[in-house]
Amino acid sequence: MQHRTFSLLAVSMLLSASIASAAQTSCPEHFANGQAPDLVNQKLAAKNLEVCYSGYVARHSGVTRTPLYSAEHLTRERLLQGKGLKRQSKFYPDPNIPASERAELHHYARSGYDRGHVAPSADMFDLQSQQECFSLANMVPQEPSVNRGIWEAVESATRKLTKDRGDLYVVTGPIFSGDNIQRIGGAVMVPTQMFKAIYDPKRHEAGAYLVANTEGAQVQIISIRQLEQLSGIRIFPALDNQMKDNAMRLPEPKERKRRGGR
Amino acid sequence: MKKNEFTPFENEADCVQIGDLTIENRVDRVSIFGSLDLTLDKEGLKMAKELKGILDLTLSEMEKLDLPAKITALAPETIKNPFA
Repeated sequence: MQHRTFSLLAVSMLLSASIASAAQTSCPEHFANGQAPDLVNQKLAAKNLEVCYSGYVARHSGVTRTPLYSAEHLTRERLLQGKGLKRQSKFYPDPNIPASERAELHHYARSGYDRGHVAPSADMFDLQSQQECFSLANMVPQEPSVNRGIWEAVESATRKLTKDRGDLYVVTGPIFSGDNIQRIGGAVMVPTQMFKAIYDPKRHEAGAYLVANTEGAQVQIISIRQLEQLSGIRIFPALDNQMKDNAMRLPEPKERKRRGGR
Repeated sequence: MKKNEFTPFENEADCVQIGDLTIENRVDRVSIFGSLDLTLDKEGLKMAKELKGILDLTLSEMEKLDLPAKITALAPETIKNPFA
């Protein structure tokens, strides 16, 4: 009996050790400390595939036919390299994902939703990374006014912060919350919110932007702990509790119409 | 603008960026968003021609067709949240 109790304890210790460790990844260079986010909500782990590209990595779900997140290591040099890059690309279904699990162009057609980049195209640094970021494995159905307004402002504020700080680890993704979800083209699920989590490896601080996927949405700044609870994903597994609990001061995103001319 | 780079309403794939302006091809619309300064210099002229090229192609496609007064988007379906 005593022996059995001991072995059960050992098994549960092993289990908790494996849960606490980060998910396997083939491209650790995109992640803080080389550690990929953990899918804590096990329902998210169904039909899951990692797709590694030069500018980002997507963790793709064949359930939603969207990424669960796209991760990038943004640096000042990378953004300067991408400046003035001719941005002419084509959206395409991702050949690395089985057809039964991926989004196709026709799923989005006539839906009224934008194909919203999760890792943004303006973050990319050369023609190859630019074209790769037009994969539908990096897209979610986004409300057009959000994609073109407040969300673009969040992306822009993140680039500006990268230029100020030198380098940042960024994890961006959709959240599917509530009892019911909208689906377009009979296949692709529409997120209820979007998050962009940021970790500054020099100052050891982190925080996240949160924006609803509805017209007139406002941006919220939340802690990594709050984001983990909302998303069911351990976004930055290496962070200590203090960094998770305290949201860093993130710049207020300014929409284009309020940003003024240059 | 060459026709193979942007063929209005023919596909859901083409995307062109001119300055901070994004132009995306859809089968039911051409989406144009962002902002653009057409500065009074050679760079501005090049961008003005590129934009005009796309608008000319778009207009000529539209004028070929017998268009409805107004289109509506397909309604999304509502499903149970698989992650709840």
